Amino acid sequence: MTEASSDKSCSGQSVLEMRGVTKRFKDKTVLDQLDFSVSRGSVTGLLGKNGAGKTTLLKCALGLQTPQAGTISVLGEDSRVLSGAAKARLAYVPQEVSLYPWMKIRQVVAYTAAFYPLWNSRLIERLIKEWEINPEDEVGPLSTGQLQKLGILLALGHEPDFLVLDEPVASLDPAARRQFLATLLDIALNGERTILFSTHITSDLERVADRVAILKEGQIVYDDELALLKDSVKRLRINASNGLPNDLRSLPGMLHCEANGKTAVFSLRGFQTELPERLAREWSAEVSVEDLNLEEIFLELHHS
Amino acid sequence: MAATFLFQIHPTSGVPIYRQLMEQVQSHVHAGRLPVGEMLPSVRQIAEELQVNPMTVSKAYSLLERDGLIERVRGQGMRVKAAARAMLPVKDRRQIILPLLEQVAAKAFQLGLTREQVLAALTPLLKERGDD
Repeated sequence: MTEASSDKSCSGQSVLEMRGVTKRFKDKTVLDQLDFSVSRGSVTGLLGKNGAGKTTLLKCALGLQTPQAGTISVLGEDSRVLSGAAKARLAYVPQEVSLYPWMKIRQVVAYTAAFYPLWNSRLIERLIKEWEINPEDEVGPLSTGQLQKLGILLALGHEPDFLVLDEPVASLDPAARRQFLATLLDIALNGERTILFSTHITSDLERVADRVAILKEGQIVYDDELALLKDSVKRLRINASNGLPNDLRSLPGMLHCEANGKTAVFSLRGFQTELPERLAREWSAEVSVEDLNLEEIFLELHHS
Repeated sequence: MAATFLFQIHPTSGVPIYRQLMEQVQSHVHAGRLPVGEMLPSVRQIAEELQVNPMTVSKAYSLLERDGLIERVRGQGMRVKAAARAMLPVKDRRQIILPLLEQVAAKAFQLGLTREQVLAALTPLLKERGDD
């Protein structure tokens, strides 16, 4: 049920292109001839169950892991042999940030800044204040959440064109999550910069992302505007006084259906506004439609 | 006007955020809370205050502009179009109330109420507002 979007197929507008990518670990296939692209200026949330391969996808995308098959280009270059210039425009924050424990935060920042010809120290100083980070703290005793905050901070200093984050909010408390989302939106407001982040917390994604990609069984099964996904996937309740039709389950786009006697509850994709009226007429039934949020849609897509 | 004053966004609702924004602008215009000529908050302002993706806000504004409810003023932003209120057709007003009615229908179905029973309950409520 791959839905390829037509508006972002060509190279100039995409910062990441993955074609036919297969990645296996021993006999386990994690990415299975996967196609995926990310267009410039978008904020894309990558959704998938635990173990779906989100981290593997991100690492392959940046050349940190090498797939067995397929081609990947990031910022127009082959991801396996990225130039220094391309790397200077990229940033990646792994799920678990590891830094030198004996350094003070102030020292880690200076150390990281030294790697980049362009480093926005004003931005970093502002974020250190806003995010309530104490530059004199040592890295060693920091909690997972504090380390994650610091990892994100360090990734922003060189103002990357393409920012890739693996589960950026998993360890953050609600206040820190809000601050982080505000910063992401600030970056998004710039319009030219691109963000790709994986998450399993759908509520964060709903605010900040304009696109959503869903990874399932090694492939991207959905990749489009978040709003279109919500317009497309609906739950219908049907009460047919003359009994349900036999071909109910073969309705186009059917995801998951539970029927009991004269009533049925089912979810489908590709919903059209005239559908309820048509079904009501054809099946002489009462039909009601329910909007689904991203979490519910995610669950419905994983039923089938 | 502050965006948080005009709009309430529920990101985890099943209604896409762009449609929530559109419906709220339509309601404000129709109720006269956003008078003709009034400037709307900028995309950036809404995105920052409500913490939503700016593309989402742009999408809502573009669709409202296409529908003729608001217009772009060069260098200043979006404002409520003259005659916007009069031209909000019945179809659109019905579109605004439809989600609520769908909830009513679903609840009535759950409770096993008939069509007549629901209409009988709704009719006096409409009369109270002097619409009958």
